[in-house]
Amino acid sequence: MTKTPEASVKTLDVRGEICPYPMMRTVSALKKLQGDERALEVVTDHPPALQTIPTQAARLGFRTEVEEKGASEWLIVLTRIEGEDGA
Amino acid sequence: MALTAWAAAVVVYMAAHAADTGFSMFWVFGLAFGFVLQRARFCFASAFRDIFLMGHSRNMRGLLLGLAVASVGFGLVMSQQVPMTSLGVYPPSANVLPLGIHTGLGGLLFGMGMVLAGGCVSGSIYRMGEGYVASWVAFAGVMGGLLVSAYTWNWWWDIHIADAPRIWLPHWIGHPGALLVTLLALAGVYVWVLSIEHRAGIVVPPLSRSHSQPESVSDDLRSVAHSLFVKAWPVLPAGAVLGGLNVLLFTAQEPWGFTGEVSRWSVGMASLVNAAPGPLAGVEELPGCVLVPSDGLFFNHMLFLVCGMLFGSFAAALGAGEFKLRVPRRTVRYAQSLGGGVLMGYGAGIAMGCTIGALFSAIPSLAVNGWVFGAFLALGAWLGTQMIQRIE
Repeated sequence: MTKTPEASVKTLDVRGEICPYPMMRTVSALKKLQGDERALEVVTDHPPALQTIPTQAARLGFRTEVEEKGASEWLIVLTRIEGEDGA
Repeated sequence: MALTAWAAAVVVYMAAHAADTGFSMFWVFGLAFGFVLQRARFCFASAFRDIFLMGHSRNMRGLLLGLAVASVGFGLVMSQQVPMTSLGVYPPSANVLPLGIHTGLGGLLFGMGMVLAGGCVSGSIYRMGEGYVASWVAFAGVMGGLLVSAYTWNWWWDIHIADAPRIWLPHWIGHPGALLVTLLALAGVYVWVLSIEHRAGIVVPPLSRSHSQPESVSDDLRSVAHSLFVKAWPVLPAGAVLGGLNVLLFTAQEPWGFTGEVSRWSVGMASLVNAAPGPLAGVEELPGCVLVPSDGLFFNHMLFLVCGMLFGSFAAALGAGEFKLRVPRRTVRYAQSLGGGVLMGYGAGIAMGCTIGALFSAIPSLAVNGWVFGAFLALGAWLGTQMIQRIE
């Protein structure tokens, strides 16, 4: 996992959420990122989000990395793909 | 933990088997359905919703394959049951249901409800097993909605359902024709969802961890066990397995479905406080997941099916390390789950089935009601998708 140089990467905690809000809230958070914010971290305990978020993030110009935190919890790191504006 | 759960499942099997072999058979079917639903996260609500919400057809493709497999199996069984289609006889247990306004309205309400609640009835059952608290709330809503539909059942029966036609395709175009038309229609839907997906843009395949080449037989077996019990199943084999299980259950007794059984619980609870809806007209003659009046008994083979699904999912989730109590923090989610559940319960009550009984078992029954329910389910899911995007 690459460390982002910025001190503060925004984190979105969607644990406990019902389907499909983990994906929907991630998408709206990605859309609200400022131009200089390169990444977003999402904490989720909803396994289907591991399949829906990468696709929706890619469509917005973000790359996905998933880190298993154990106990059915995952940290999803979404990083803006350089040179792309996002669709 | 998972092993303890499976051991408990075996104990229940033996106890059920001693009481009634039907109980133990339905328990095993329930476990199998619950296990597969959980392992593949096979969600009928997302099959419809994700097409509208994100142009994603993963679950819909699995559903279509499951329907195709079940259609071939059901078609073969029904051609044995009713060899002469010109006589106007219906296959005894297939889900050929009265078709009318109640079918469409039921599908519409169910479709909205399943998207609002984040899962249909089978989806809520397997998520209950995974520890989603909101799904328990949705299930309570389903029970409430089924009870409300039981209060209005006689009204529906008198004005509409009693005279509604039961349209079984083999009566019109024979067994081979009916199967062919069904498979072609499924292929048509497949092309349609693929075209939506291609318009929506990139689809990232499920992220997979890189596996090294297994070095020994035990290594290889471990990797197979990992794919079965830990890694999420791909959706296509899961759809095919669910379709195949449905054919087996149909061959053994009746198609997969359970909202009739859940209505028996609701009506039974209502009768404890003297609020039972009273006799339900015509239900004895109808197949499928038609409402079941309370019979005063507790055990029933269908009880073992529903509880088996819940327990199968629970054991599967434990084995995969995916069990966790998930408690929504936003109050509105409880309202959504309950309200969505009530809509699903009412819809399933008047349509005589849910995404399983009125769709996954009805289209393979080569019955037109399955297609009408499915079309309105899609419309309802579209409406539901509009609604959830407005709820923060």
